[in-house]
Amino acid sequence: MRHIIRQISDKAFTILTGTSVVLLTFVLLIVLGPMVWRGVKAVIFKDTVEFRKMQLDLYNRGNSANLKLENAETETFRKTVYKIVDDFKHGIDTEALVDKSKQIYRQLGKELRYKGITNEEYQRIRSLARELRDRLQVALESNDKKVIKENIDYILQYHLDENLADTSAVEFFALAEDFQQSVENIDLNKRQQYAGSLQQIEEIVFHLLGPKPGDPLPALTMDRYGATRWDLAQKLLDKLLWSEKWIQQEVDQPLVKIRASRAEEFAGTKLEPLFGYIENNLVKMLKPELTVYWQYFIDDSTPGHYFGGVGPEILGTLLLTLLAMLFVSPLGVISAAYLVECASDNIAVRIIRMSINTLAGVPSIVFGLFGLAFFVLFFIPLFGGPSKPCILAASLTLAVLTLPVMIKASEEAIRSVPQSYKEASLGLGASGFRTFIRVTFPVALPGILTGVILSLSRVAGETAPILFTGAVALGPLPKSPFDPTMTLSYGSYDIAVGDRLAMMVPHNQYGMVVTLVLLILCLNAIAIVLRARISRKLRGQ
Amino acid sequence: MQKGNDNMPISALEKEANLDHINSVVSLGQKASPGINEKKPDCKRAVIKSENFSFYYGTTVGVKDITMEIYPCSVTAIIGPSGCGKSTFLRSVNRINDLIPHTNVEGKLLVNGHNVYDKNTNLVNLRQQVGMVFQKPNPFPKSIFDNVAYGPGLQGVKKRSALQQIVEESLKAAVLWDEVKDDLKKSALALSGGQQQRLCIARALATKPNVILMDEPCSALDPLATVRIEDLIGQLKLSYTIIIVTHNMQQAARVSEYTAFFCLSELIEYDKTDKIFTNPVRRQTEDYITGRFG
Repeated sequence: MRHIIRQISDKAFTILTGTSVVLLTFVLLIVLGPMVWRGVKAVIFKDTVEFRKMQLDLYNRGNSANLKLENAETETFRKTVYKIVDDFKHGIDTEALVDKSKQIYRQLGKELRYKGITNEEYQRIRSLARELRDRLQVALESNDKKVIKENIDYILQYHLDENLADTSAVEFFALAEDFQQSVENIDLNKRQQYAGSLQQIEEIVFHLLGPKPGDPLPALTMDRYGATRWDLAQKLLDKLLWSEKWIQQEVDQPLVKIRASRAEEFAGTKLEPLFGYIENNLVKMLKPELTVYWQYFIDDSTPGHYFGGVGPEILGTLLLTLLAMLFVSPLGVISAAYLVECASDNIAVRIIRMSINTLAGVPSIVFGLFGLAFFVLFFIPLFGGPSKPCILAASLTLAVLTLPVMIKASEEAIRSVPQSYKEASLGLGASGFRTFIRVTFPVALPGILTGVILSLSRVAGETAPILFTGAVALGPLPKSPFDPTMTLSYGSYDIAVGDRLAMMVPHNQYGMVVTLVLLILCLNAIAIVLRARISRKLRGQ
Repeated sequence: MQKGNDNMPISALEKEANLDHINSVVSLGQKASPGINEKKPDCKRAVIKSENFSFYYGTTVGVKDITMEIYPCSVTAIIGPSGCGKSTFLRSVNRINDLIPHTNVEGKLLVNGHNVYDKNTNLVNLRQQVGMVFQKPNPFPKSIFDNVAYGPGLQGVKKRSALQQIVEESLKAAVLWDEVKDDLKKSALALSGGQQQRLCIARALATKPNVILMDEPCSALDPLATVRIEDLIGQLKLSYTIIIVTHNMQQAARVSEYTAFFCLSELIEYDKTDKIFTNPVRRQTEDYITGRFG
């Protein structure tokens, strides 16, 4: 009976442990899988003609002759879009039209003054023009089609006035005629609403296709190109075709989000064909192509992570990590050697041990503030360095952060070196120091490397300690240890907190995270291979 | 560690002499096994003398009131039940016991007339003079060459050719040369247990000591390897003073000329091996040897 119970409990234990491992793997896959999938999209994705334009302008990559041809092809389709929008805008943008009419009136005044007509005539035409201007304004601002027709007709009857021919007044009549035509299909009461919607649509078209040809180049580089990625273009297309609104359907009920078709909203107007046209011709306007953008890992992230890659971030992360390891490794090993080999068990040593254990549990943001107060504001200026966040301060802070991990691992490693090795060395007349350098340290090295691996992973991914001590979201490449640097961890944090950015460049955010994971994996792999080689040598194989 | 304080009465001349007897051992090693009473005339210098020596681990007694004299160029076996202090005594001779904290000593333990527990003792010199072989073979995880060259390296021998010569001599003296001469670069851990123990002996010989302490050198080895080590001890005693701690009474009878019996931290009897095993004076010794307790 007892035998059976033992067997059952053994089986149960095996099953329990097995299940938990499988569960853990599963959870990891669920978490990591989508993240990696999205991260991969930063490198392998469908680009658009805008992307190729950007690559040529900013990085001097690609075939410019080919691109010119492509540009010409897309331009023909894009023109239609701009034309539809402009046509519709005439009937909507009252303020702009009023401004324009006033401008024409002023121009006309100047022209008349130099026309060489009599004073009387001048006064007559001047007052006529003033009247026409006022009537146009009434027409423009009116919501009544009747009033508009009345006024426009009144204006147009002076069309053939010989005194107004060959002057700016021609433009004036054209404006009035255009307006009359464009308002024919519009529900004038909805003009306000249309104007708001149109503004959104123009913005989306701007993000989709870039600045209108002929317009001055925007100041920001990120505004100079349309959607560089096909997935982004489709997201924008969806936003163009469907407007989202929060409405309250019933009293005392929470707001509900509904999607409304913009084509329906603009049904019957001149803008209606726009939506179908863009939907059907977006491929021809952007020419998506599958591309492997491996330069993602070396390019700098020109304006604000919109375009480009994570080259400087990788460089910065590597710099900080390796520098921090350079500081912490000797310090950790020496401290551990003291604790194992030299320290006797007294109160002072016990307090030191307790401090190290406590230090391991301190939140990293505390180390960040410590780094700011100690390294940035005090320590580095003490030696004549600049008192500003920099690589040196950040890596020193990271070194302090990971010191307890390093000490603990090294202590364990040094402690596990067989006493017989030390005895043999001492028995041959070696001093304690020689014994440590020649025998204990080489044997403990694999264990110490385990500590290095643990610290490395921690350091490479930390954000809080470098927040105030040496990380920047954007900036030039560091030229000395006294410059701040970009890092992958801080970069993804920065994208995540800038909500507009995170929406526009999710691929970059996930790309950074996955790159960080890969980087840590690579660094770890190097350390693991090194450790395996050393311990194989120690085992005598 | 103290350094360069040459208080030990060992002169450069004697070191030269040391090299000579390694050479002589090498030449002897190739001859037939020598008779047990055959001795080299230059072996009169290494003397260990213990005068009312006591060793305490904190308040626990390690050994108490030991007074004995170890004769040069001979094998002295220390036998006794577990926990009787035989290893403690052995490990006191080259002060390897210093690794244990909170210990203290009383009395005197003289090597070459110098008290090793004197404040001025230069541990480096002492340990180079008194080599030690441990219970478990403990070669460093380095190559065979590096293992043997470790001691001379500490003494400041840097030249590759000189090191090579010492390594060869030591390995020949430890009767290991023929087995490993082709791959000195091989890791010492790839050797068998018996070979490892002989390597440890070679490593101890490389610093040219006068005394070799052996702490149950065969307890981790199989009978065949034990026989080889015992043969080696028989050859080495011509040039070195050897103290061997052993649990194996047959081994003590086989290899030693003098035997000390320790019991309950005290030295019960110390005499020629023949006498201890055939006609012991004390009752306790007889009981132990005949297996009535142990």
